[in-house]
Amino acid sequence: MRSFAYARPLTVMAAVQALADASPHARIIAGGTTLYDLMKLNIEAPQALVDVSRLGELTTFDTSGTRELVFGAMARMSDIAADRTLQTDYPALAESLWLAASPQVRNMATVGGNLLQRTRCAYFRGGAPYPCNKRQPGSGCAAIGGLDRSHAILGTSTSCVAVYPGDWAVALAAFDAQLDTVSPRGERTIPIDELHREPGETPHLETILKPDELIVRIRVPVTVAGRASTYHKIRDRASYAFALASAAVALRVDGDTVREARIALGGVATRPWRARDAERALMGGALTEGSARAAGELAFTAARTGQYNRFKVELGARTIAEALMIAKGRAKTS
Amino acid sequence: MTGPGPFPDVARVDARDKVRGMTPYGADNHPPNLAHAMLVTAQIGKGRLVKVDTDAARAVAGVQLVLTHQDTEGLKADGYLFANGRSFQSVQPMIGTAIAYRGQPIALVVADSLEAAIEGAEQVSAEYVTAPFSVTLDSEGTEILAQADLPLPKPAFADKNVGDADAALAAAPVTVDAVYDSAPQHQNPIELIATVASWDGDELTVYESTQHVEGIRQGLAFELGISPDKVRVISPFCGGSFGQKNAMHAQTVLVALAARTLGRPVKLVVPRSQLFHNTSFRPPTRHRVRLGADRAGKIVAAVHEIDQQTSRHDLFPSMATDTSARLHGIPNFRSRERLRRTDVQTPGFMRAPWEHAAAFAFESAIDELAYALDRDPVELRLANELPYDVVTGKPFSSRHLSECLRRGAELFGWARRRMAPRSMRETDGTLVGWGVATGAYPSVISPSIAQLRVTDDGGIVLNVGVQEMGQGARNAVAAAVADVLKVRADQVTTLLGDTKGPPPHLTAGSWGTATAVPAARQAAIDMREALRKLQPEASNGATPAGILRHAKRPFLEVEARHQAPGAPDAVFDRMKQGLLAYVGPEFPEFVSFSFIAHFVEVHVEPATCRVRVPRVVTVADCGRVVSPRTAASQLRGGVVWGIGGALREASEVDPRYGGFLNADLAEYLVPVNADIGDIQVDFVDKPDPMLNNAGVKGLGEVANVGPAAAVANAVYHATGRRVRHLPIRIEDLL
Repeated sequence: MRSFAYARPLTVMAAVQALADASPHARIIAGGTTLYDLMKLNIEAPQALVDVSRLGELTTFDTSGTRELVFGAMARMSDIAADRTLQTDYPALAESLWLAASPQVRNMATVGGNLLQRTRCAYFRGGAPYPCNKRQPGSGCAAIGGLDRSHAILGTSTSCVAVYPGDWAVALAAFDAQLDTVSPRGERTIPIDELHREPGETPHLETILKPDELIVRIRVPVTVAGRASTYHKIRDRASYAFALASAAVALRVDGDTVREARIALGGVATRPWRARDAERALMGGALTEGSARAAGELAFTAARTGQYNRFKVELGARTIAEALMIAKGRAKTS
Repeated sequence: MTGPGPFPDVARVDARDKVRGMTPYGADNHPPNLAHAMLVTAQIGKGRLVKVDTDAARAVAGVQLVLTHQDTEGLKADGYLFANGRSFQSVQPMIGTAIAYRGQPIALVVADSLEAAIEGAEQVSAEYVTAPFSVTLDSEGTEILAQADLPLPKPAFADKNVGDADAALAAAPVTVDAVYDSAPQHQNPIELIATVASWDGDELTVYESTQHVEGIRQGLAFELGISPDKVRVISPFCGGSFGQKNAMHAQTVLVALAARTLGRPVKLVVPRSQLFHNTSFRPPTRHRVRLGADRAGKIVAAVHEIDQQTSRHDLFPSMATDTSARLHGIPNFRSRERLRRTDVQTPGFMRAPWEHAAAFAFESAIDELAYALDRDPVELRLANELPYDVVTGKPFSSRHLSECLRRGAELFGWARRRMAPRSMRETDGTLVGWGVATGAYPSVISPSIAQLRVTDDGGIVLNVGVQEMGQGARNAVAAAVADVLKVRADQVTTLLGDTKGPPPHLTAGSWGTATAVPAARQAAIDMREALRKLQPEASNGATPAGILRHAKRPFLEVEARHQAPGAPDAVFDRMKQGLLAYVGPEFPEFVSFSFIAHFVEVHVEPATCRVRVPRVVTVADCGRVVSPRTAASQLRGGVVWGIGGALREASEVDPRYGGFLNADLAEYLVPVNADIGDIQVDFVDKPDPMLNNAGVKGLGEVANVGPAAAVANAVYHATGRRVRHLPIRIEDLL
């Protein structure tokens, strides 16, 4: 049995201190739905685990605020997905949680931990003999030129094409969420858009978090665009599958005119992907099937495809277009 | 001979234990002082071991033993199932240094705990000399063999040539010529393959999960060089199998060897990622189907040509055209089957091993022909029924395919279908497609021995050679006895899956029911006669126990045997050696198949092209239905699997590395509950008058023949897109 140190602190400060003490070889364990899996696969072999499951202060969430929604990092995915206010006023956020994983996983997984879910790239998870720059920097990338059907077409590099697998972070990206973190150096706030890195030459570095830095809460600015929103997830089966393409879309419309459009993409990019060009193209115009389609296409102008994932350009564009029309329908009924 | 029944729809005899988690599976056995094992597998596509370094593994606390090829002296490979062996392939890993495929075991680590065994396994390293390899049908280095030229028994493995198909095709005014591909698949039963082996002196007891305890007993004894009398194999329940567990796997003898070396029991549960490389799988296939018809819709000719993957070391033959030649009454039929040798473990049997892909191809082609003729696809099939088998000229023992089609069409509401593709839509623009396909599966029969004992305290104990792997074998044999003795099925105790009982056949190929039920029924009839002799004046309501008490006899035992019509008695000897012993589907007086018709509705989303299957109607002709509850369950399961095979399932192969990439249940996509809509199943339930005394044919496999084609045909009807490969995914429809 591989042994590792294990700490289960009762306060955030104690947790951060435990992380700092064991840094850089410690991992935070929350719901365990990703980390235990990767430890069993021998992809992760931490020397120390800091279990944050007893940090009761981080398990609460509040969707009633007038300025922002606040989610403790240790709140369960299933609890937040079931929140009625969220379902009504921010369906994209609720749906991104409902459509993720399975009920069992959602009951365990936390919304803070979920942000850090690692890629499902089979070459990354498969271990030897597959080269993987994310798992073993400098070893190469088996996915490039390989079975890349599920891989990214946006934000890729010559080192890595692994797709960011999550849904929740994509929906949060559409709403410009912010993360509060704590480390021995104090607190800081990170815009969700800055949390994840593109792989570049260093695909093993997936976020800007320091090894001793703990996400304590997620804050989402209140917006009326929340009501006219959706998380549209297209995948190979109706449940328990990762997105081939997904779009979190939120709209503010005035009559037929788009005053605000927020579009973030999942399943197609190396990180949660904000499609700002597509958003700008919609601003001030009428949202029609045609303009929705054009926005969808615009989001993929920079796409780089591989052997088997070329279809994601068309699927992604259609997913955005359909999501925009779903959101528009909700704008009318709200 | 019209047989018994109809039978009542009663609960599974093992239902109560199953829902309470009380059913004992192989790996649930924990003998005292048990040690745990883990395999180490090769990471190259092909080549040779130069060195296996086990020092680090041996240094792990708790590790007791590391076996490599250097520790297997004296061990013999038993041989391949289709070559008079009992193993799923001829290669027995860890005998010698050759690596035939990626994922082949190279070491077994045994430790006091599972955790230590896993850590030890991770510490084993190896050096190899690599060799070029090919793993797909089209890779360079793949060797193409014409099956008819191979040393396989004839005429079973000869090409079929009935009439003059090529001439009839050339003269036909309406033709279809298309190529269809199917992806490799793995069976993936929920219960993993596992072995618990313990020695008592020179006697070995093995708990497994298998479709064939006798095969393992005989194969294991041969490999270890000991008498089969010294080996007992027990597998009373199997947590799903689907062909995967029909022969001996590599780990069994290695675990037995480790247990003997250590002098303590050893258990190994093979993890799913390794299981993708250490069991058989459904090989990928390519089918070229040519059909010719006259303008009135009479199909005059069919040519069915198949390429199927096999391993470099074994010939897993194709038997697909045995069935495609019988799907419809096509008077001129020619087939050509080829094998493509690649560097994989030997592919094998997965539910409807050949027929799943063959029916996808053939029934897609029939659908294409229906559109070429502008004929309703149900009507076209009904118009091409013949009462006899064109291949042999013999009658079918029973053939109710027309009734399956008619009843299915009525239950489905097929009459409301519009023929043109893209002509049916929901109000939101969702494309609706209705598709039909038929299927068939050979009825074959293995020899079977049933022992029945009744006791004066009310005990009725049936000991019969058949394996329960969830399909409901216990229900079927209990129902057969209960029907004759006028008791309830749950009053019959069924003992199966133990080599201490009567020699069991390999339960596979949908022959379990038609093999064991007639023997069980015969035993019950013999028992009824014996009881009648004990008390000729007994009233109709007299129980077996009552008669025994009246006669002052504590118990009564009978034994009955059953074999296929025309089968030589030598089949019993083959069965006792753990070898294949089936006969059929061609019998002296007739040919026997089960038949089925599937009707499928798909909804295709107009933009994102996701395919949903809201409802299916399936009607089967499997002769008499002995266990209605489990039979309906088998049908639904086959349909679910067909939907999975049509839309999701594929084992992914990266030709640069060999092996299978998506080797877990998160990435190998099978349907989830949310993917499955309403499935209505029905049975013709007419006893087969010729095949056996119970009127039963097979069901488990035919359930999975045709549903994938029905889905594909429905997708065509919905979208106008004819997808000629499996699985059909979003990118095929965008």
